[in-house]
Amino acid sequence: MAGAWIIADNREQTLELLTIGRELATTMGTKLTALLWQDQELADDYISHGADEILLLPPLPEDQPPGAYIPVIADEAQKKDPDIILMASTVRGKEMAARIATRLNTGLCSNCIALNLGEDGKTVEMERLVFGGTAVQKVTCTVRPAMATIPLKTFEPAVKQEGRQGDIRELPAPAPSPVKILERKPRETEAKDISESRIVVCVGRGIEKEEDLALARKLAHALGGEIGCTRPISEENHWLPEELCIGISGISVKPDLYIGLGISGQVQHVTGIRDAKVICAVNTDENAPIFAAADYGIVGNLYDVVPKLIEAFKT
Amino acid sequence: MDFKLTEEQELIRQNMREFAEKYVDPIASEIDENSRHPVEVFQKLAEGDWMGIPIPAEYGGAGADYLTHALVVEELSRSCSSTGFTLSIHVGIACMLVLMFGDEDQKKKYLVPMATGEKLGAFVLTEPGAGTDVMAATTTAVLDGDEYVINGTKTFTSNGPTGDTYFVFAWTDKEAGRKGMSAFIVPKETPGMQAGTHFQKMGLRSSQTSEMLFKDCRVPKENLLGQEGRGLVMAMTGFDHGRIGISAQSVGIIQAALDESIKWSKERVQFGKPISRQQAIAWMIADMATDLDAARFLTYRAAWLKDQGVNFSKEAAMAKLFAAEAAMKHTIKAVQIHGGYGYVKGAKVERLMRDAKITEIYEGTSEAQRMVISGTVLR
Amino acid sequence: MPNIVVCFKWVIDEAYIRRGSSGELDFSSVSYKISDYDRNAIEEAVRLRNESGGRVAAVTVGSPEATKGLKDALSRGPDQAYFINDASFENIEPSQTSAILADVIGSKIEYDLIICGEGSSDLYTQQVGPRLAERLGIPCISFVLKLTIDGNHIIAERKVEDGVEVTAAPMPVLVTVLPDINTPRIPGVKDTLMASKKEVVNIAKDDLAQTYEPTLQTTAMTAASMERRCVKFGAEPGDIAGFVEALEKEGVLR
Repeated sequence: MAGAWIIADNREQTLELLTIGRELATTMGTKLTALLWQDQELADDYISHGADEILLLPPLPEDQPPGAYIPVIADEAQKKDPDIILMASTVRGKEMAARIATRLNTGLCSNCIALNLGEDGKTVEMERLVFGGTAVQKVTCTVRPAMATIPLKTFEPAVKQEGRQGDIRELPAPAPSPVKILERKPRETEAKDISESRIVVCVGRGIEKEEDLALARKLAHALGGEIGCTRPISEENHWLPEELCIGISGISVKPDLYIGLGISGQVQHVTGIRDAKVICAVNTDENAPIFAAADYGIVGNLYDVVPKLIEAFKT
Repeated sequence: MDFKLTEEQELIRQNMREFAEKYVDPIASEIDENSRHPVEVFQKLAEGDWMGIPIPAEYGGAGADYLTHALVVEELSRSCSSTGFTLSIHVGIACMLVLMFGDEDQKKKYLVPMATGEKLGAFVLTEPGAGTDVMAATTTAVLDGDEYVINGTKTFTSNGPTGDTYFVFAWTDKEAGRKGMSAFIVPKETPGMQAGTHFQKMGLRSSQTSEMLFKDCRVPKENLLGQEGRGLVMAMTGFDHGRIGISAQSVGIIQAALDESIKWSKERVQFGKPISRQQAIAWMIADMATDLDAARFLTYRAAWLKDQGVNFSKEAAMAKLFAAEAAMKHTIKAVQIHGGYGYVKGAKVERLMRDAKITEIYEGTSEAQRMVISGTVLR
Repeated sequence: MPNIVVCFKWVIDEAYIRRGSSGELDFSSVSYKISDYDRNAIEEAVRLRNESGGRVAAVTVGSPEATKGLKDALSRGPDQAYFINDASFENIEPSQTSAILADVIGSKIEYDLIICGEGSSDLYTQQVGPRLAERLGIPCISFVLKLTIDGNHIIAERKVEDGVEVTAAPMPVLVTVLPDINTPRIPGVKDTLMASKKEVVNIAKDDLAQTYEPTLQTTAMTAASMERRCVKFGAEPGDIAGFVEALEKEGVLR
């Protein structure tokens, strides 16, 4: 038995995993299985986006977390013995992956940012960032199946292909989890998703007052971009929602242009912008580490520089 | 020989580093600029038992050794030497004086609140006409019934405007010479004692320094520290302890100068390469690192001797002499390495250089240290 | 009066890792620390004990070198520590760490609540907590930002992508905590001195029920590269113009 499995919380992530899953399954000459428990109508949609088989998990009662599926998923994996299981690196996905891996007694590459099939056509070498983004670790699983969790936006979403056929199978309902969800509080802020923005203006501790964010917003507006921030701005000052916090513990962005204002450039933040095409920084401290990570830097006070930039970009 | 600190000493040092980075670094420049005593920092120091490290737990302290206290003064001074000094004089002189010379009642009444950090101590010895020459002092204390009446003018009193518990030295018997001076504990707001205005200083600006005026200041007899006539011995013993603190403060200053110089010289590019690769700069840094270790080991040795319960006067004087002069020398070099950028207000090395100068002056000038050292080795 | 177990890891402080000339990692001047989020875990365990009574046991797996972390951990408030150590434990992977922890916690320590950090600041795999829960066969609530004990249940608010889930689970239970949950203390001098007087239970490899083989193998570890142009401008009008021109040439302006 063999196969490549993908497991994700929602359609958006499933489509991204279908891209890498399809590529691996085709190269390995095996079939691609997608698990589905949200909207059961999506089964055909996933097949047309590259899945060969859909494993349908029955809907859960309102107070049950998806973690309840773990025994059912692990049992099925034990029976079918897939080569690889890829899961979305979301809050729920990361916990489920670790627990499934434990049940299958296998290794798991968390927050995997690249996968490559080895020369033997079987071993998957996976890359991840460690030491706060200072280093890249490459790992392989020594037992079957290989497992990885993959962050959002690591792969492009799969493209729909007409006329694809696939099987749909139902898995048994799980026993209730001892963990009960009492209440779901939806995210309050209406923060924009900047992970796909082409231009990001990011603010750090160099911004002295909350009102001064207006300056950054003006610059972003002049460029047609969005604003983001470093962890202290969202976590300590609460000036911006944490959805805009860029870095290893926040979101990653890959814009064409990133401009950091008053950002020192700690590795934890810089890791979140490593895929930006052009990185710029404005900082008074000539020695701020951000300049070593930037293509173009302006050594100067952002309160002096930014109005000049806004003027220059307007013309 | 064992140059290793204990695990506890290492941890306490690390925790003070974290404390200083979190609470002191962000305000160090501001309190220097505004000459402000950071009350909020001292509240936090009190919460973490940092204000009475070598004082036994029964008197409100942490019950650690003197070396640990020195390590803490060093780390605190690395971020802000004014703050480090305020802690140093509070513990090293004020707390130690009561611990060593106070009776049980005085320890309970005055040492406990100081060692817990609730109250801040001040050492009131220097006079306008009596600096290194302590014997030239003119302040007197006359017994009148159950009270001593103190009259005179003191100056350069650290923690003068901000202190709670003052240790005042005055003649009870001028004729008796070296055996005629006594020490008194004078609580804040005792009528007749008044702090003058705070001096604006070149450096060490957040430490509050003022004149102290005594005009018919009456303190109860029981506020005499130890016996009459022992004041000079107490002052000298206080200095011995305090000097370890000033040495540690100086070591903190040199460490900061080295930190800044390494960072800057690796990043500052001139003639196409970082200036750290210019031999002129590299050698300055080599000398700085070497003197830092020498100053540090002299300081730790003096503290260690103190903890062994043996005489350490000469060693404390040597440590202070060397560490203070090294601090001055190398903060000048650190500014030199930074060039114009080091001469600008707000540059840390600029503050370090101003702060360093006082270490060669107070708690005995470098000349006074040489008197102590030569007096011992030529004996 | 819950018995609380808190797990921590003694890790390399990533701030001291340098990049060698050929992209290799230079660990020659590193120092070690308690993993950042494990400090939050310890703080939360101690906070709950101070509120609800009970005891806190801190547990770590590592090489004998990690002994330095014990006093650090104990100075943050736990009542005792378990030190599972062997020279071969220096570079173990999460499945091994969690199996070893489960072996010891399951057989030697009474527990109602186990608290772990969400991930370690060195490898940040975020696996040990959930894997440990699975090994022990107890419920797991991960990424928790608020925790309360309610009788024989815990109520945990966990942060998920689309908001906050308020969840409940019966004890014994394992939670992993986010840094948002509290501000770890800086231990005071007395805390550090007291730490030496607390009990440390040493557990050797031979005391474990079995050996645990790795399931994940590290094939390479290299410095992450950020090759950038590093062109610096000043703030004069000419500099601003040059900066804007550079961005135009890059074709990143609309």
